[in-house]
This record gives sequence, C-alpha cells and structure tokens, in this order.
Amino acid sequence: MAMAALRREGRRFATPLISPNPANVFRSSLIPSEEPVLSGVRCISTQVVRNRMKSVKNIQKITKAMKMVAASKLRAIQTRAENSRGLWQPFTALLGDTPSIDVKKNVIVTISADKGLCGGINSTSVKISRAMHKLNSGPDKENKYVILGEKAKAQLVRDSKKDIELVMTELQKNPLNYTQVSVMADDILKNVEFDALRIVYNKFQSVVSFLPTVSTVLSPEVVEREAESGGKLGDLDLYEIEGAETKAEVLQNLTEFQFSCMMYNAVLENATSEQGARMSAMDSSSRNAGDMLDRLTLTYNRTRQASITTELIEIISGASALEG
Amino acid sequence: MTLNLSVLTPNRIVWDSEVEEIVLSTNSGQIGILPNHAPIATAVDIGILRIRLNDQWLTMALMGGFARIGNNEITVLVNDAEKGSDINPQEAQQTLEIAEANVKKAEGRRQKIEANLALRRARTRVEASNPIS
Repeated sequence: MAMAALRREGRRFATPLISPNPANVFRSSLIPSEEPVLSGVRCISTQVVRNRMKSVKNIQKITKAMKMVAASKLRAIQTRAENSRGLWQPFTALLGDTPSIDVKKNVIVTISADKGLCGGINSTSVKISRAMHKLNSGPDKENKYVILGEKAKAQLVRDSKKDIELVMTELQKNPLNYTQVSVMADDILKNVEFDALRIVYNKFQSVVSFLPTVSTVLSPEVVEREAESGGKLGDLDLYEIEGAETKAEVLQNLTEFQFSCMMYNAVLENATSEQGARMSAMDSSSRNAGDMLDRLTLTYNRTRQASITTELIEIISGASALEG
Repeated sequence: MTLNLSVLTPNRIVWDSEVEEIVLSTNSGQIGILPNHAPIATAVDIGILRIRLNDQWLTMALMGGFARIGNNEITVLVNDAEKGSDINPQEAQQTLEIAEANVKKAEGRRQKIEANLALRRARTRVEASNPIS
C-alpha cells in the first residue's frame, strides 16, 4: 500500500518533466542538478537517437523501393521513347525546326510529370516555359499556356493564371500510347488558336542527363506563308503537294499529324526523363540515409560506451572507497 | 540508282531498306514511284502499299498518314502499318464481317463515319493478306 502511494507520488513528481508548461520546465531543470537523475537523462537521449535511427532506416527502405520501381518503369518506357524518335525526324526534314520564328499567337505547351520526387525536371520545364513566354512577349502578341501534368500546373497557376488556356493531368494513369496522345493533341488543336505551338519537355539523354527541349509546330497558314515567301521553309516549295483538293487542306492534315507525332515523342521523352530523374534522386537519397544512419550509429555507440565506462568507474571507485 | 523506303508508325519501324518500286495509295488515287522521282509530299489514305523487291511484290496495309518522297528517299509516316505476311487471313476476314455488320447497325452521323472507317481498315487488311490480288 505504501509502495503504491510512493509510486503514485513518483509519477506525479515525474510529470513536470514532460509538461510543456514553462514554469514547470523551469522547476524540472532545477531538479536534476539537485538529485542524481542523470542516468535517466542519459537513457532518454539514447532513446531519441534510437528512434531517429529507426525512422532513418525506414525512410531508406522507402527510397530504395521507389528507386527499384522507377528503374523497372524506366526500362519499359525507354525503348518506346527511342522507337518514337524516328517519327518526328521526317517532319523536321520537310518542315524544318524554327524555334526563332516570329508570330503573333504563341501557345506554349508545357509537359511535366504528375508526381514529384524526381529531381528538377518539372521546374526545368516551367523555367523554360517562362523564358519562352518572356522571349515572345510584345505589344501586339499573345502568349498562352497549355499545361500537361500536375506539377507544372501547380507552379504556373501561381503567377500566370490568366494565360493558362488548357490543363490536362493524370496522363500516365493508363500506359501511354499513340491513340491516347493523338486524342489529346486533337483536343488541344480544337480548343486553342495558335500560329505557333511550342512544346517544352525534357529530352532523355541518359539516366543522369536530361536536355530541356523546345519543339515548334507551325499552323498551316504560317507554313504556307513562310514557304511562299521563301523564308525559313523554302525547301517545302520544292515538293509537289498532292493527295487532296487544295494545298491548304494537305497542310492542315499535315500539321495535325505532325503535332500529334511531336506530342507523342515529347510525352514519352518526358516520362522517360521523369523515371530517370526519380531513379537518380532516390538513389542519392538512399545513399544520404545510409550516411546519416552511419553517423547516428556512431553517436549512439559512443554514448552507450561512455555511459558504461562512467558506470564502471562509479562501481570501482565505490568499491575501492569501501575497501580503503 | 536505288530507292530507299522507310515506313514508320508511332510504335515501331515497319520497313527500312532498299526497294525497286512502290505503289502508294494516296487520297487522290494510287501513285507508282520509281527511282529518281520528283519530290512529292502527299497524304496517304487507308489502303495498300505494294513494294517490288527482287521482282516480287509484297503488300502492306497502311492506316492513313503522310508520305514524303525526295532525293530517292521515301518516308511514309502512318498511324499504323502491318505487313501482308503478318496478317492472319481468317482473322482479317472475321474482322471484316464484324465491321460490315457494324456499318448496318450504325446510327447517327458520327457512328456511321466511324463504322465506315473501320470497314475500310478491315477491307484493306483482307486485301493485304491476300497474296494473289
């Protein structure tokens, strides 16, 4: 009975130690200096380190798993991205690539990922898009954004909400295929007026390097004008245009096909870059977690050793005092 | 003088090598292409591509797209392409019958257009799978 009361007393005595009330903290900070509760303090500090070690270990497990997932997804999508590269080259050969063309209505198609934790690829896309916006702005010019992916939307909504024409997200819920992308490209062409579409994406070079890239798709009217004036697209006039009633009709179809092919390539390249970037980001964070774990283990072992040594000294000196 | 043909779809390269002659079905009819042809850019219809190689004719089913001919290089970009030898004739015939039935069933403008397109695709595949034609 008396023991139980003592324990209860002890518990009541212990509470101020944890209480967040400043007055109590002040009192509790006095207590250790008066009474020998140092051993208790030591226990708490090792407990904290142990908890920290456990959480770091868990984080490392998660990042390792994410890295594995990214690596397997990367392998699947990389071959498809490489296969899709052949598709835009003939268009570039015929229509040229003219990023510097000066037109009135610019539409910037920003491609980004839906998820984060993949290094800087999303912010790179956004940065390049902003630069394009700035570069092409002028007194009688119009700049609009079409955004693919959650992350670019979140960043661009903040400062240029009025310029955003169209947002599409959750592209990668189903595996990417050409049909899906061409439906999406049709959607964009139907809903947006443009003279030039500029697709901004990260081109996949290797697992660790991604090139921010801009592909330009011109509207049929601009293509015709440029070809006739013998400007940047002078080569097109060498070709005889066949297959429909008028040249404009062919060019219209051609532009639509070009845009969907370019989009298909861009979306695949960006998805590949995303997986690559996520893989390397997760790799370095697992490595960081390992380093942190090593440091924490060292601290933990050192503290434990120190406390054992202190206890041993206490016991030995107590015994020798009794003997002497 | 040799002629290089490459047939590309979004997913893969179907053909990439030398040929002697091809017959391409465009929106305004079939055109034959021999070496040293004048530069042409043309839309490609849903139809058959015939390729002459070592005096043998091969067929390929093309599902619409675009072709560029110039400098003895032919580049055909299409939504989908299948080599005639890769198509199973029975399966193609069945698809054609289903497509024919769908055309009869289709109601409304949009459905009719879609059913007709599907029928043309199916017919092309049957033609391409038939080596004699």
